[in-house]
Amino acid sequence: MGYVSARGGLDAIRAAEKLVRTKRLVSDSNWLEEEQILDKLRLLVDRVMGEAGLWEPQLASKAIRQSEGDATEAVHLLRAYRSTLPRLAYSEATDVNDAQVMRRIVPAFQRVPGNQLLGRSVDYTARFLERTADADAREEAEKLRGAEREIVEEKNPPAEEISPRRLIDLLRDMDMLIDRRRTDDPEPFDITRTPARPPAPRSALLSSMSRADTGALVNQWYRNILGPDGYLHEVTLGEVRHATLPLNVRHPVTGDVVTVTHIRVSEVEAIEDLEGIDEDRTRFDVGYGLCFGHNERKAIAMANLDIACHRDAGHTQLEQSLLLTTDALDSAGFLEHLKLPHYVTFRSMIERKLAVRKMRSNEASTHDGA
Amino acid sequence: MALSDLIDHRESTELLDEFAKREIRRATLAAVAIPGYQVPFGSREMPVARGWGSGGLQITLAVVHDDDTVKVIDQGDDDGVNAVNLRRLVTSSTGADESSIASEATLTQSRHRIPEDGLDETSILVLQVPVPEPLRGVERDMRELARMHAEADYSRMWVSLYEDKVRNGVITQSTGYPCLVNGRYVVATTPIPRWDIPRLHDAPFLTLFGAGREKRIYAIPPYTMVEPLTFEDVPFEVENSDGACCALCGKSESFLVSLPNSTTWLCSDTDWCARQRPAT
Repeated sequence: MGYVSARGGLDAIRAAEKLVRTKRLVSDSNWLEEEQILDKLRLLVDRVMGEAGLWEPQLASKAIRQSEGDATEAVHLLRAYRSTLPRLAYSEATDVNDAQVMRRIVPAFQRVPGNQLLGRSVDYTARFLERTADADAREEAEKLRGAEREIVEEKNPPAEEISPRRLIDLLRDMDMLIDRRRTDDPEPFDITRTPARPPAPRSALLSSMSRADTGALVNQWYRNILGPDGYLHEVTLGEVRHATLPLNVRHPVTGDVVTVTHIRVSEVEAIEDLEGIDEDRTRFDVGYGLCFGHNERKAIAMANLDIACHRDAGHTQLEQSLLLTTDALDSAGFLEHLKLPHYVTFRSMIERKLAVRKMRSNEASTHDGA
Repeated sequence: MALSDLIDHRESTELLDEFAKREIRRATLAAVAIPGYQVPFGSREMPVARGWGSGGLQITLAVVHDDDTVKVIDQGDDDGVNAVNLRRLVTSSTGADESSIASEATLTQSRHRIPEDGLDETSILVLQVPVPEPLRGVERDMRELARMHAEADYSRMWVSLYEDKVRNGVITQSTGYPCLVNGRYVVATTPIPRWDIPRLHDAPFLTLFGAGREKRIYAIPPYTMVEPLTFEDVPFEVENSDGACCALCGKSESFLVSLPNSTTWLCSDTDWCARQRPAT
C-alpha cells in the first residue's frame, strides 16, 4: 500500500540517526577537539552559552561539535541536558562593579575616568577575507608567539582601568540622570520556573532578553528602527564592556560565600534622551543589557530595548514581544514543527472548504429556482 | 530525599529531574481542580523540540508509573515517526510498558486525535497542544486575554463565530474547535478534529493538555460537560465524508483521512482499523 510506505516508523528514525552519527564521526578530516572549539570558535561558544542560559564552556563546545555548528541545536542540547539535573543552589548576587574589564568603550565622552580600552575587537579591523596560505599563516603564528607573551606580560594596568568607574555614576554626580534605583531588594523573577507574561517585573524582562536568541533581539531592535514598530529611538551608549565576574555561592556546610568560578559577560548601559511630553526633559534615563560571554551586539540591543520597554509602560505589546517571541528554542521549535504530519488537520480543512462550496451552490440553486 | 540522591545523575536515563516532575504534578492537579483553566508551569526543555510534543511528554513523564502501559499516537497512527520517537523516549526513560491497543493502555499520549475506542475510567489521555489559547484569533494581547478568561468574557469569540457563519454559510473552524468546559472556561481542543469533540463530553477518562512551548497545562476531568461553541439554530457539525469507507477495513464509522485523490479513504486510527479487519 502506498499509504503504508508513507509512514515513517522506527526503522526510518534509526536509519536517520545512524546517518547523522556516522557522517559526523567518520570523515577524512582531523578529529575536532573540544579545545579547538573553545579556542578558535570562542564567540560561537559564548553565544551558545548565552542563549542556553548556562555557563559551561566545555559542555557548550561538546554541544557545538555534536550539532555540527548549528547554534540553536547546540542550545537545545544544553538546555535539555540541564533539565535532567536538579537545581541545588542559587548564586549570591554579584556586584557588577566587581567586574574586571578586558574591553570598555564609552561613546558618550571623548575622555573618561578609567580610559577607553579597545581591547580584543574587530570593530576597526578592515574586513578583508584573509586568503593567506596555511603554511604562511603558521609561520606568522610562530613569529607572533613571542610577541603574544609580551602582550600578556605587559598587561598590568592600574586598578581604575580594570574596574573603571561607570559613566552613569558621573551623570548622577552631575544630576543628569533620573534615579530609578530601588531601596527594596525583591527576589529576581526566575523565568525558568515561572512563565513570564506581561505585565512582568523588570528582572523577568532582563533575564528573558539575556537568554534570548541573538538574532531575535537584533531584529526586535531593528524593526523598531526601520520596521513597523518604532517604539524606541537610538540611545547613546554609556558603557560597552566585556568583563569577568566572580560567581559566588554560599557553601552548603560552612555557610561561607565562596567563588566557584568566573564568568565573562558583555555589559551595556544605554543613555536615553527623554523627549516625551510627560517625561523629565532635563535628565537622561538608562537602559541595561548583560549577557553571557562576548556578545556586544546582543547586549546593546538588550539595553536599548530595556529602556524602550520602560518608557513604553505597557502602552503597546513591546513587552509581550520581548518576553515571548525572542527565545531561540520556542521560535525555532515551533517553526520546525510544521514538518510534522498534519494530515488530520488538513483533511478537516478540506472538508470545511467543500462545506462552504456546497452551501454556496445550494444558495445559488435556491436563487435560480426563485 | 538526601542531597546526594539528587546529584548523581550521570548514568541516569531520566529526562526530567524529580523536582520538575513534582512541579508538573502540582500544576496538573490544579488543572484537574479547575477544568479548562490554563495553569502556568515551569516548562522544561526536553530532548524533543518545543512544538513537537514537549508539553505532552513532560506530563506523561511526570505522571507515568513503572506499571503503566503507554500508547503514543500521532494523527491516530502508532507508527508515525513522531509517535515512535516519543514512545521510545517514554519507555526507555521509565519502566512503562507499551501497547498500541487503547483499552490496554493506562496512559495514551496523542497528537491531533482521540483513539476511536478503548478509553475508560482507568485511562488518562495526554494531548499535545501547540496553541493553548483559544481566543488568540480574536485577541493578541495577553493582558486582555487574561482578563477575558477571568471574567468569562467570551463575547468576541461568539461574534467571530457569528461573522464566520454569516460570511461563509457555515462555521469554517476545522480542527481545535473551541469548547466551553464545565460551563466556565473556553479551551482550545488541541487541534483534534471536530469528529472527536463530542467524545470529550461527559467522557469517562481524564484528558490532560500539555503545551510545553507556551508553558500551560489544562485538563478535562472525567464526566465533565464539554460544549462546542455554537448557536441554538446552528448545529455543531463533525467532518462529513459522504458515506466513504476505509479501503482497508471497509468501515465508515471512524474518522477517515483521504489520499490526495480524495477517492481512497483510510481510518486515521490505524490500530482500531487493524482490529476491524478479519483475521487472516
